Amino acid sequence: MKVTFKDVTLSYDGKKDTLKHLNFEIPDGSLVSLLGPSGGGKTTTLNLISGLLPATKGQIFFGDDDVTKKDALARKVGMVFQNYALYPHLSVRDNIAFPLKMQKVKKAERYKRAEELAKLVHVDDQLDKKPGELSGGQQQRVAIARALAKSPSLLLLDEPLSNLDARLRIEMRQEIRRIQRETGVTTIFVTHDQDEALHISDNIMVLAHGTIQQFSTPTALYEEPSNLFVAKFIGEPVINTLPAEALKADLVASVPASILARAVTAGVRSEAIVPFDNGQGMVAAIHAGLRHAQKYGREATAELSYNGEVLLSTEMADLPQAQTEGDFFLTKAGFFLFDEAGALIFGGDSHDQ
Amino acid sequence: MAKKLSKILLYAIVTLGAITMLIPFLWMLSTSLKTAPETIKVPPIWIPKSLQWGNYIKAWSEAPFARYFVNSVVVTSVTTVGQLFTSILAAFAFARLKFFGKNLIFVIFLGTMMIPGEMLIIPNFVTLSKLGMIDHYAALIVPWLASFFTVFTLRQAFQSTPEQIYYAAKMDGATDWKYLWTVLVPMSKSTITAVTVLQVIGSWNAFMWPLIVTNTETMRTLPVGLQAFTTDAGTEYQLLMAASTFVIIPMVILYMFLQKYIIAGISKAGLKG
Ligand SMILES: Nc1ncnc2c1ncn2[C@@H]1O[C@H](COP(=O)(O)OP(=O)(O)O)[C@@H](O)[C@H]1O
Ligand SMILES: [Mg+2]
Repeated sequence: MKVTFKDVTLSYDGKKDTLKHLNFEIPDGSLVSLLGPSGGGKTTTLNLISGLLPATKGQIFFGDDDVTKKDALARKVGMVFQNYALYPHLSVRDNIAFPLKMQKVKKAERYKRAEELAKLVHVDDQLDKKPGELSGGQQQRVAIARALAKSPSLLLLDEPLSNLDARLRIEMRQEIRRIQRETGVTTIFVTHDQDEALHISDNIMVLAHGTIQQFSTPTALYEEPSNLFVAKFIGEPVINTLPAEALKADLVASVPASILARAVTAGVRSEAIVPFDNGQGMVAAIHAGLRHAQKYGREATAELSYNGEVLLSTEMADLPQAQTEGDFFLTKAGFFLFDEAGALIFGGDSHDQ
Repeated sequence: MAKKLSKILLYAIVTLGAITMLIPFLWMLSTSLKTAPETIKVPPIWIPKSLQWGNYIKAWSEAPFARYFVNSVVVTSVTTVGQLFTSILAAFAFARLKFFGKNLIFVIFLGTMMIPGEMLIIPNFVTLSKLGMIDHYAALIVPWLASFFTVFTLRQAFQSTPEQIYYAAKMDGATDWKYLWTVLVPMSKSTITAVTVLQVIGSWNAFMWPLIVTNTETMRTLPVGLQAFTTDAGTEYQLLMAASTFVIIPMVILYMFLQKYIIAGISKAGLKG
């Protein structure tokens, strides 16, 4: 089911706006991640969708229905909580069947459905256990099955993987993607982990300071961040940033003067600083000092000193260890300029305009 | 070595405490099996020459104990169920709902716990007699249908359950009412059992209030009925003790069955019995 926010604002205390004028549309059948730093308003947004929180201003639509005034009971969405929130006194079977019990579905029927769902999430051998007897990953699966029990048209997951260890997290995020594909349910997945969001989502909404920083595909998020915040938030290692002033002399040939005049900050991804012109479009050639750092596994980083700034590059592994300076190139892909407010004015696709 | 010694000392103290608690109980059992002269013998004797089991039959038939028993069962069960019901609802409201003046009301209720029960006897008596309830079951039951102590204890237990489970239940389509009875109450089972048992015992053993608000023999409860053995001519201790024994036996059995829950519930809620 399509979810639409029209100018939604939320204030917990009536003074400060926690979410400010959110406008977005989540397409039917897609998996969207809400990504952002802790305190950015992700849970609040999710609670607005679920109906646990009423919007202070604005309208929320499910499909064409205005659900702004409806509470959680009426909205009928499925939700998975961060700590799973399973009912400790009920067996796995009864946990999964609980939403159906609330709908007064007959016992035989709801148990049948519970077993089907248990199969879908691979916990069909745990049906008679209590949640306390399950591992974190299994509890997670049960929570997903329970959320799917009433065949919701919308599934919400609030940091569902943050209580799992690293290996299990990767396994479970693939599981969630599989289950989403198999059921086709529109899914909104909250996370503060960019890796998780990049791997699982059709679209990512980056949320910080109560506003949407960017809402686009994972690729666009990386290749064309709409502002400095997103550029810094997405990507490992963190993008190099330096005052545009330091680079201006080397950019005059490739960047229109009108843009250059407004540029305040430059962002350069570490893989965009290369030792040779690889013919894929260069935005500048720079002369810089070079200091090799150690290799970690297959990753090698080097520090370049340029006009008093330090730039990190991951592309210098093939240069001789003894080399201490040289001419390097900045590729167009992975090079961005931002204006005073932090908005993208050069880089990504926009460099043609 | 020192550790072992302190352990021995600890056990000695605990054993001593247990014996001290048990002595009155054993004395009751012993006296209930004595003859009348044996009960007042000096120095006292612990083991009667021949066990007078007949005391029990005699005690049972000397006063309408069957009727008292019925009264006690009715009063105790209705009081307990009623009080539990009102307390669960109030505790839920204080623990989970948002409403105007919640904290103020809570503080006022808390304040009522500071008023000694004895102070309330006369006003309550006056109220009930104006309502024409004296000497009816209503007088024995109605004043105890609300207990802030129980509300407070249950509120603590309810608050200690994760709030997310409340939201999860909402998302699963449970109304507040459904959540309360199918999720919150079962999750707080041990505390609910503990307050129930404390209430049953308190209600079953209540003496002062039933004595004051009942006049006719048919309305008396067991503890009040025990007075039958104290007459102008003196007290028939062997019969009084035999009757006391069958008054407390249901409580002892109840306690033995639910001991596990009671201890868990009491230590969890941090309340004292
Ligand atoms: N119930 C609440 N009452 C008041 N403020 C809240 C409440 N819940 C969250 N906030 C505030 O709203 C902001 C966004 O919180 P949240 O949506 O939980 O962020 P996230 O899930 O992205 O970490 C934070 O500053 C947080 O302190
Ligand atoms: Mg959160």
